[in-house]
Amino acid sequence: MAGSRSAAPGAAAGRVPSGCQGPLGRPAPGGGPASAAGRAARAGRRREALTGYAFTAPAVLLFCVMGLYTVGYGLTLSFAQWNGFTPHWTWVGLDNYADVLWRDPRYAPRVHHAALNTLWVMIGVPLLTVAAAFPLAVLLNRAGRMQAVLRSVYFLPYVTSGVAVFFAWTYILQPDGAVNALLGQLGLGSLRQPQGWLGNPDTALPTMIVVSAWGAVPVAMLLYLTGLQGIDRSLLEAAQLDGAGWWRSTASVVWPLVRPITSIVVLLNLRDSLQGFQTFLVMTDGGPGDHTNVLGLEAYRLAFLKELAPTLGLASALGWLLFAAALILALVNLRALRSTT
Amino acid sequence: MRIAVSGKVRCAAAVVAAALSLTSLSACGGSSGPGDAATLEMWTFKQSHVAALRNAAEEFRKQTGISVRVEAYTPDDAYTTKVQSAAKTHDLPDVLETHSDGEDMSLGAAGIAADLRGLVPAAWSDRFEQAVRTSGTVTDQKLRESQPKDSKLHGVRKGQRFSVPFTTGTFGIVYANKRMLADAGVTRAPATWEEFLHALGRTHAEDPVRGGISLGLKVKATGLTWVLQPLAFAQLGKERYEALFGRDASRNFASPDGTRVLSMYDRLTPYWMPGTQSLTIDEADQAFAQGKSAFDVGGTFTLAFLRQNGVKADDVLAFGLPAPERGAVPHRALGPLALTGLTLTSTSAHPDNARKWMEFLSGQKVAARFAKDSADLPATALGAEGVKVLGPTLGSMIDSFDGAPGDTYDPSLNDFRPPGYDQDPVGEVLADLTPLRKSTPAATGQDMRKLIDSYWAESK
Repeated sequence: MAGSRSAAPGAAAGRVPSGCQGPLGRPAPGGGPASAAGRAARAGRRREALTGYAFTAPAVLLFCVMGLYTVGYGLTLSFAQWNGFTPHWTWVGLDNYADVLWRDPRYAPRVHHAALNTLWVMIGVPLLTVAAAFPLAVLLNRAGRMQAVLRSVYFLPYVTSGVAVFFAWTYILQPDGAVNALLGQLGLGSLRQPQGWLGNPDTALPTMIVVSAWGAVPVAMLLYLTGLQGIDRSLLEAAQLDGAGWWRSTASVVWPLVRPITSIVVLLNLRDSLQGFQTFLVMTDGGPGDHTNVLGLEAYRLAFLKELAPTLGLASALGWLLFAAALILALVNLRALRSTT
Repeated sequence: MRIAVSGKVRCAAAVVAAALSLTSLSACGGSSGPGDAATLEMWTFKQSHVAALRNAAEEFRKQTGISVRVEAYTPDDAYTTKVQSAAKTHDLPDVLETHSDGEDMSLGAAGIAADLRGLVPAAWSDRFEQAVRTSGTVTDQKLRESQPKDSKLHGVRKGQRFSVPFTTGTFGIVYANKRMLADAGVTRAPATWEEFLHALGRTHAEDPVRGGISLGLKVKATGLTWVLQPLAFAQLGKERYEALFGRDASRNFASPDGTRVLSMYDRLTPYWMPGTQSLTIDEADQAFAQGKSAFDVGGTFTLAFLRQNGVKADDVLAFGLPAPERGAVPHRALGPLALTGLTLTSTSAHPDNARKWMEFLSGQKVAARFAKDSADLPATALGAEGVKVLGPTLGSMIDSFDGAPGDTYDPSLNDFRPPGYDQDPVGEVLADLTPLRKSTPAATGQDMRKLIDSYWAESK
């Protein structure tokens, strides 16, 4: 941050350059050589600022083209009917929003069903992630010399290629896959799923929630670990002196202190659950039937898998509705964060 | 911390950074250049066609000096998105293998496929089997389908042509593992739906895990289009079958007719291979090839894939999905249709050479070699040599095409369904009946009726 402050031209203009200071840090009397030195310093800062601008220009330009342009384009598209290729858009106003929300019986019921599935994912994934990541981080924080190794092991799901891992999961969850085999070996044969964990409509969505949480735990665990390592040990020692055991210290001291991190973990996972669909696309494609269809997948399908039917506008409208929901969630979370910190 | 940097270095860095930003912007545009006139590119979504196409390309190069690079992108959804993204970035190949009379026309409507009207003379089109000779052409039926503004064909004009047929065949072909049939005491191909269920019962009783039937039900509409529809056609006859998709509640899927055919389809429920609802078409075929099921439903094209996965044609019995014994059409035939076509892209830099390649592939000798190499049925009429070239297994499938016009189920007919009809959501509803057992035939009929009615309601 020090670097960015020194590079800011506005910040430099309001201060006396360090080259003009006297022995006690006060401005040097007189103007001749000191003012020349000041001009040189200002010129140096200008050059430095220009260099900074030049280095950030590619990113800014890319953002303007790839970010602002596409965002604007997408928003405009949500008011049109288009298949991505025909030369003209047909403007339909707010029809796309009305169609996906309630009006068109071809789309609205599917969106409602996908919204319900998405809601379950939004409840299940953050809860499971927090429930798994926090205890893991607490254990890892006490692990001593093995901490680095274990941290890498637990982080593995995050760094492994997503598509390959999700394909592996589908094999593991098949009727003759590893999960059923393991349950059989453990004498829990009654829990096996003869149609596979993704083939039974009653287990498919919960299984997808578990797999999604499995992918989210590493980052959450790392965030918790960072938070745990920042806790002042004297607080824990004080609690111990007051007679609090490990469980009481963790529940009454550590957990409240890492609440901001919990908020961030919950927010990140809510957003991923709301908008993410890759796992579902690879593993179930919304099936069996449409029992694991989620909003992100429905938007993707409307955009790219309708054989060039003019449904890009519907997909865009659904995308913007998801964005609005994500924004509301972020604001609610921010508010909650402020009130607890 | 500050690092001392000289003015010249700063200046150079600024220039490099500015250049980089311009480079990144220019990279956003871009298009493919005219390329090499002696090299064409073709994409297909069928892995089983690649080797055969490359053999044909080698022959084409010897005769004309023009090379053709053949690439496959699978599965179908990946191919669809690949073609769309390539069209956006101007990276399309010269020739695409497309799904006939559907994908080819939507590509034509979008301006991705070139219009071949007037460019396919009789000398070329007469090489094709009579039934598929005009495939790829906008007919009156297709024109009607294109009328709604939200139709994927909207904008096409009658007479335009967006593909020439390449392979032909039909859906609803059942493959059976001969060894498993023999183990279960089944000695011949089932002649009726009832015999088929009986044979399934026998193989399933012999091996409850591996004796069932596989079908790639992860692809939503396979159960609907490959099993239920030909079954319903045979049970009800053409007119009552088509009425299932109509608005008349006394005759559509919510009617007793609908409940009856759904109940018949539901009789497959105990025999599905475990987990078949989570498999794609290729995965289901692979499961059959690995001996995980005794029966597999596919199309004429499935044999090529099975062969690629180590199945010998002599080890399987292939037959058209049998008709119910007491149905309206007990000897129902499965009508052949063009399954895939060759589409010239509108951005091809060498359309003349590309058309030469497309015409070359329709030559009788080339098509016969393709059939032999790929174990698939070409659209080109092979004449008297055909059966010898295709072998007994493919030949037996062709037998299922033979039938009187009124007794032939034609999967390409679509004019009795509402405009904008999408079979995938209907397939999802059907999956709740079987294999998922979440619904009853009557309730499924009501749900299908409701969904199909929504397409009627929205057809403008």
